[in-house]
Amino acid sequence: MRKSFPAEDLARDGRFRRARMEDRFEDPRNDLAPAGRRGGKLPPDRPDAAHAARQMMHGIFVGEIQALEGAGRTVWDFDDDEAPFALKLDMARQCWDEARHTEISVKLGEWMGTEIGEFAETTFLYQAACNPDPVLRLTGVNRALEGLAIDVFNTMREFGQASGDPVLSFCEDWMLADEVTHVKMGSDWLRRLTEHDPERRQRALEFQRVVDKLFSFRGFRGETDENPIQLARTFRRMAGFDDTEIDEIAAVSEEAVS
Amino acid sequence: MADPSAPRSPFAPWDRRELPGLFTVEESARRVGHYAWIEMRLFEALGGWVATVPELDVKTTLGRHCYHHAWHAELWHKRLPELREMRPERLIKAPNADLEAFVAALTEPEAPELTIEKLVGVFRVLLPRKIAAYTYHLAATSRITDAPTIRSLGFILDDETTDWREGEMVLQALIRTDDEVARAARRQVELEGFMVQAGGIAGPGSLGESPPSESPSTESTVGAAS
Repeated sequence: MRKSFPAEDLARDGRFRRARMEDRFEDPRNDLAPAGRRGGKLPPDRPDAAHAARQMMHGIFVGEIQALEGAGRTVWDFDDDEAPFALKLDMARQCWDEARHTEISVKLGEWMGTEIGEFAETTFLYQAACNPDPVLRLTGVNRALEGLAIDVFNTMREFGQASGDPVLSFCEDWMLADEVTHVKMGSDWLRRLTEHDPERRQRALEFQRVVDKLFSFRGFRGETDENPIQLARTFRRMAGFDDTEIDEIAAVSEEAVS
Repeated sequence: MADPSAPRSPFAPWDRRELPGLFTVEESARRVGHYAWIEMRLFEALGGWVATVPELDVKTTLGRHCYHHAWHAELWHKRLPELREMRPERLIKAPNADLEAFVAALTEPEAPELTIEKLVGVFRVLLPRKIAAYTYHLAATSRITDAPTIRSLGFILDDETTDWREGEMVLQALIRTDDEVARAARRQVELEGFMVQAGGIAGPGSLGESPPSESPSTESTVGAAS
């Protein structure tokens, strides 16, 4: 088995459909959606709320698979001198967590009325987990993407509460607890592995900014009613982000709209 | 009410633990080091394979089992300093080059159509060997002096047998044709060959049989002394 595994080779069964990130971003239909089907915060009374929630859940599902695959590759890709044993233990633990999230997401998808393969899958999340430097990989995945997962799960948890769906809010709350743990892992390893290497820390934080910006594209995440995913400040603080860092992510999100 | 001053045996009548065990501190540490090594290689392989298998239930199973074996490795890492090994990395190694060759062969398959080959290596070759070696250790070491190792072995064996059963069921569900039966059998034969050469996960003596080069001379020495 190779030590580096490209996103295009990710193994899937015949139900999955792969889409390129750039095709999704540059899809001209993004500008043509009728008012009722535009992005923005997702109140249950929006005409397309059920469809949008199902689409979001499918996105979470494929994201969890890729998070599982990414954590697994971090366990395998690096020798002991590149990634300490304790880091690999954390990543193995994350494998188990992401496996559970995958299972939860499949069941929630069925509960909400979607099925595997109804929506296309992009592999950008996994691509962030292919960085050859374990510090950059951990920072991009555990701080940027798992941070995004905090925002997504909190948004879906609130949607479940607002729409009177206790199953959805229950499951999202449990997954949210795991994501806070994963972000803390990322912050901890960033600090430990770059304690005597400020230049490497800066590169890692810059990589995180790039990933954060990509996932805020076209106002996907932010703090206004225009943003489908709301920045979850309280849970991010629990995960170890300070207010300056959260403000920075908010600023990156605003920049990404333009 | 019982007389509080009456002498009682330090062991309850049903407590049949005895001294000594078969393993010295050094022998227990040597084996634990090999256990840590194989658990590490296994959890790394399971993590790496997640991305390579298309079957969704296999992906999540590998992810779950990956953590189980990582936790076993952690337990063994922590045990080594308690066995007077202050540089654990000295003992965390393969018992011989044959077991390294086994791991290299075990982790070689990558292609998405090779799920059977991946799982046979883990669930029909390696896990049975681990369960056997751990069970032997449990039976052979002193239940009094080496109790911390025994406690870890209990947790680990519980995981291993549960995971082995789950993996075997997945394999039985995947193997449906004569060709797949043959593939599974070929793979098992190939990897068992490496494992037999290695002598088990702790090398020759994994199941208690003495290494061939040592047993005759030890016996003759004892006989001569008496």
